[in-house]
Amino acid sequence: MDNHTSPVKIAALGMEQRTYSTLQLFFHEHCKDSYVLVEENSADISIIDMDGFQARRMLEEHKKHYPNQPSILISLSHDKAHDAVYIRKPIMLEALSSALLKAKERLQQSTIKAPTLKTPTVETTPQLQMTATPPETAAPLLRNNNNVAHNHDSHKTAGQEKSSSKHFNQYRYSANFLTEDADLEQINTKLAENFNPDNPIQTAKFQYQPEQTLQGYFQQAYFTALQTQQNVLLKGVWRPITILHKSKQLRVEKNFRHLYALSGMLFDKSDVSITILDNSVDCEPRLHETVLPAEPFLWKLAMRTSRGRVPADTNFTAPIKLIRWPNFTRTIITPHALRIAALWAKQPTSLMDTASYLSVPLQHVFIFYTAAVSLNFVTPVMTEKNHAAAALPPANRHRYRKIFQNLLERLRNN
Amino acid sequence: MTNYKIIFTGPVGAGKTTAISSICDRPPLSTDKIASDMTRDVKKTTTVACDYGTVRLSGGDCLHLYGTPGQERFDFMWDILTSGGIGLVLLLDNTRANPFQDMDFFLEQFQDFINQTQIAIGVTQMDRKSVPCIDDYHNHLSKQGLTIPIFDVDARKRQDVSLLIKALLFSLDPGLIENND
Repeated sequence: MDNHTSPVKIAALGMEQRTYSTLQLFFHEHCKDSYVLVEENSADISIIDMDGFQARRMLEEHKKHYPNQPSILISLSHDKAHDAVYIRKPIMLEALSSALLKAKERLQQSTIKAPTLKTPTVETTPQLQMTATPPETAAPLLRNNNNVAHNHDSHKTAGQEKSSSKHFNQYRYSANFLTEDADLEQINTKLAENFNPDNPIQTAKFQYQPEQTLQGYFQQAYFTALQTQQNVLLKGVWRPITILHKSKQLRVEKNFRHLYALSGMLFDKSDVSITILDNSVDCEPRLHETVLPAEPFLWKLAMRTSRGRVPADTNFTAPIKLIRWPNFTRTIITPHALRIAALWAKQPTSLMDTASYLSVPLQHVFIFYTAAVSLNFVTPVMTEKNHAAAALPPANRHRYRKIFQNLLERLRNN
Repeated sequence: MTNYKIIFTGPVGAGKTTAISSICDRPPLSTDKIASDMTRDVKKTTTVACDYGTVRLSGGDCLHLYGTPGQERFDFMWDILTSGGIGLVLLLDNTRANPFQDMDFFLEQFQDFINQTQIAIGVTQMDRKSVPCIDDYHNHLSKQGLTIPIFDVDARKRQDVSLLIKALLFSLDPGLIENND
């Protein structure tokens, strides 16, 4: 392997689509294509997500077939069970870069020690193959590994253009694609079943700091644009995003889908800039750009960043009031969103009580709250002493509930 | 068999007839006439009595969808139409000169009915004229202390109309259960 000319081949195992896309983007933009994603049987290094279902089994299988291949394990916990490089989630750019360098050093050492090492043939179970090969963008990449290394960018562009047009349609006709969002389906709602809001360890697990995420920076840029009535330019490791204050839209590259893939990453302030533009600056989209409505974009970004968590300053027991309804015909309807919105519009209710009253998973309430609070659609109701207002008894059952249920069922079936 | 009804109202050309058509079981009975006054500038026919469609429900129940005539001169019908209704869907045409004025007018006209039930608002024609935006409608309503579901809708799309009705139903009873909401 020549470090200067050939990219290091990386297998990403047990990764969902979003993480996979994030890695692709990271390798392409941050590492200048010095790493490339390939299938497991042709990889030099593997990166394994240890938080997935059957991750341990996958790791064992992997170690059995590729005992000398350096691995990078990513996980929420810090498990030192294997001789591997660990990165703790959330993954910081620097941590990933340094882990890759470490793994690369180990690869070079093992190559020196065992120069005749053969690439084993792997027979994985269909389930493991599926886990290791994310859908859509992964498919064209994995069909021809030679093309991956040399035409990586063209493959990515083609795949993403297709995705972007699909996503644009989602903005217009979002009502039925919500259950199709893989992120929502992957959330393990059982994790919060015994959640105790008074337990700081548990609350920390379900909270995150949006400030250093793309969501946080976009939020800041968006509200700056609205407050100053000026267009705003947001720059970072992603391609520039221009927020158009008047139309509440953003001008972004056509392949904007990868931005959602960045939702799980933290960015240092020094890598991000928010610039207020002179309104006379031409903001017409260029050939490679498109214009999107800002609210559904931020909603989706927050929803993805949340992944069943809430911003760090959230009070779990303060009643939440709906200030305005999301435009649900053009925004992703998170699970039980209509019910939660209706409840909070009718009667402010805490996150905990909402889950209990509506009999819905707490994390679904968290997702809706996080998306809604990112756009200031909801607010906690506090008393004068800055304490959570007392919770009210749940709203009454309507006398026509049975007929309403009937009608809902009918609307769903048609 | 029990009958229930939802009222669709709004100014002329807002899409009431179309919305009812997109949701009911069979083409609605419509009492449109060739427009002979200023309405003609907006569309060739206008509803002079009411639109009517039905949605059959399991258990033999039936939901009736009534559309009010768009022209104000037929407002004597409104009380009759709303009697026994379970909720109101207000459709607004974003291309009209002053859609806020329309909204205020209908909210005032149906105030008693809304107080007793609930309302959901759909703004049509936003693809032809994007201003005012949905946010502007909310800002206007918040000055009156109202938090109402307002969606950008295409009255031809069943999904959009269906979502308006769902929002209305959940506003009436958030405790309703739906598997795929």
